[in-house]
Amino acid sequence: MPSEPRVPTEPTLDELSAYLDHELDADAKARVAEHVAGCADCQARLDGLRQTAYAIRALPMETPPRTFTIPAKRRESSSWVPVAGWIGGVAAAMLIIVVGVTHLPFHSASTTSSYSPISGGLAQGAAPAARPAAPLGQSGAGTQMYDSQAATKAALSNAATVSDPRNPSRMLTVSTDAASYSPTGTMNVELRLLGLPQGRTALVSLLLERNGFAVLLPTGSGPLDASGYRGNYQLANLALPNPVAGSYTLIAVEWLPDGNAELIARLPITIQG
Amino acid sequence: MDDRDLVGRARRGDPEAFTQLMMQYQVPLYNMALRMVGRPDDAADIAQEAFTRAWVKIRTLRDAPFKSWLFQIAANLCYDHFRRGRRYGEMPDEDTNKVVGLGILTPDPQERAEASERNRLVRESIEALDHDMRLAIILRDVNGMAYDEIAGVLGVPLGTVKSRIARARAQVQEHLQRYPDFFPSTREDAHAE
Repeated sequence: MPSEPRVPTEPTLDELSAYLDHELDADAKARVAEHVAGCADCQARLDGLRQTAYAIRALPMETPPRTFTIPAKRRESSSWVPVAGWIGGVAAAMLIIVVGVTHLPFHSASTTSSYSPISGGLAQGAAPAARPAAPLGQSGAGTQMYDSQAATKAALSNAATVSDPRNPSRMLTVSTDAASYSPTGTMNVELRLLGLPQGRTALVSLLLERNGFAVLLPTGSGPLDASGYRGNYQLANLALPNPVAGSYTLIAVEWLPDGNAELIARLPITIQG
Repeated sequence: MDDRDLVGRARRGDPEAFTQLMMQYQVPLYNMALRMVGRPDDAADIAQEAFTRAWVKIRTLRDAPFKSWLFQIAANLCYDHFRRGRRYGEMPDEDTNKVVGLGILTPDPQERAEASERNRLVRESIEALDHDMRLAIILRDVNGMAYDEIAGVLGVPLGTVKSRIARARAQVQEHLQRYPDFFPSTREDAHAE
């Protein structure tokens, strides 16, 4: 007697859901695929689950409302921390440094303008999955040039521009009104992003870094004009390490949607003693 | 530099290494907590405390992956949050002028309003889940973790992870089906015709 064609068992809800996620072993995956291919009801169930997962995944990734820190007091009082393990006094002083990322969304508004004011003022953009811009202190993508060349594109005197090696017309410039400041001085910063394709958005972070630690430069108070972003920062109000004097790097990072850094411009800054 | 190198340095007391780990995980960890508890300030508190505890305890981390361990700490803090009687906080409506959706602008005000409403309904459907299912589906569909990673965070077998995610999706789907104008394709009969 001829055997009847084998009908794969109807998959369970768990199996359909795991099938969507590619989390079934090969046998189960083949069985579910075979059944779904010939079963309109299960195909509909699978599509419903898939669209549900898509709806959840479409929720925007939100930017944290504040930066996260490791409290210096708790660290220092932690009994397990070997004092000898710290990197001397500098590292101990660095405990107060705040790490965080803020994103300035840029978007191009016309075919001729490479960037435009952020509508609604300085907005907090949806963050890409967070990654360091690159290990701080290492070179990012692009080719960086200082001062004279960058100054052609920056209104402020001290500038660094990084260009996209794949598209030299795309450039990120960070500039300041001076290269050296007193600890109580005010640093004027300008950001420019040139050559964004029309309709493309970009998220840009601005940080002041020293020895691998970075302090967030808040971006909610600076005026924004048609030529990019400008902000004024009173250095005494930033959570800089003690002693404050030293060599810093002002870092502007343009992020890709996947969280990788696209362009990183670095501008040396000195804070005098 | 991968997590293992950074964790190794952090275990030896290198704050720079831990800082890099924080930068890497601050957004996904915050968003996990946000989707669990709803209120941005509460979520930020949870993420902050998770980082602090991870830093203090990192010498106890042996072979477990840092990511799963960190998220496990945050997940436990979320459960503590609910045990203290804190309710799911209603998130303020996203101002779509301030949310730049990863490179895609939606300039049409009506489209933005509809996207905002869709997101609100999805958040509402997640809020309606019990805590275990909510956490499982957040780790999967918000954080994109694999099932074995989720099992590591939750401390449960793979089969339990599979079941929680499936039941959570089914419940969310049932919830969203009440709004066919926004989610027509979640209806099973929409595909069976």
